[in-house]
Amino acid sequence: MTGLTNTAPSAKARPLSPHLGIYKPMLTMMMSIAHRITGAGLYLGTILVAWWLLALSTDVAAFSTYMAVQNSWIGQLILLGFTWALCHHLMGGVRHFIWDLGYGMDHPEREYLAIGTLAGGVILTALIWLIAWLVK
Amino acid sequence: MTTSFDTATVTPRKSVRYLGSARSGTIDNKLMRLTSLALMPLTIFFVWLLVSLNGKDYFTIRDTIAQPIPALVILVFMLASIRHMQIGMVSIIVDYTHNRHMKEFLLYANTIFSFIIGCAIVFAVLRISFV
Repeated sequence: MTGLTNTAPSAKARPLSPHLGIYKPMLTMMMSIAHRITGAGLYLGTILVAWWLLALSTDVAAFSTYMAVQNSWIGQLILLGFTWALCHHLMGGVRHFIWDLGYGMDHPEREYLAIGTLAGGVILTALIWLIAWLVK
Repeated sequence: MTTSFDTATVTPRKSVRYLGSARSGTIDNKLMRLTSLALMPLTIFFVWLLVSLNGKDYFTIRDTIAQPIPALVILVFMLASIRHMQIGMVSIIVDYTHNRHMKEFLLYANTIFSFIIGCAIVFAVLRISFV
């Protein structure tokens, strides 16, 4: 610690609350961290959206460069991950909204919500890619 | 966030100074809920737009996005997203950064990044619509 806070050298080590490593991984806990990770992923994903729109606003050559990257296998993998992160985060958002209204916090409702978030995100991603492939 | 201080030498006011406002802290919480609610239908519109444009050529995509409704969907979706993600990243930064100077740096970097991405997207959509 640096800055304004002042820790006296004599301060005794205080008992710590149990941290993550102690707990057996649980689905609700995994969905909590997945919500944060997908959020951080989507944060970086906005760079791709900005690139896509800027290329589109420039000319055919700039757009072709963008499309060449997107159509490469790594580009497709990133786009698939982006779609899943968006769907998973959306499902997680619905779950948080249900909690904000005061529902679904008890057992086993919270477990159903965690499973629903995970399954909903995967199913929605598959559905979007299927429809995108069909309309192409 | 870890805050440790010696209560014998530091007065209570000193211990809370610079750690945040006592009056306007709820604005981020309210904005997070407002933007997430707005983003639920907007995400569906945005994804639907992208799916319908899949495999189309440059001029078709450009002409579609130049229309008022697709342009507005993208602008409102992206601006709500950027405010939402900026607040979200603040909570990630304050949770995991324990060095005060690094935290200050990352919070500014977050604001600047979000602002630049927002400006770039607004510029691109306007250029597509008007140029």
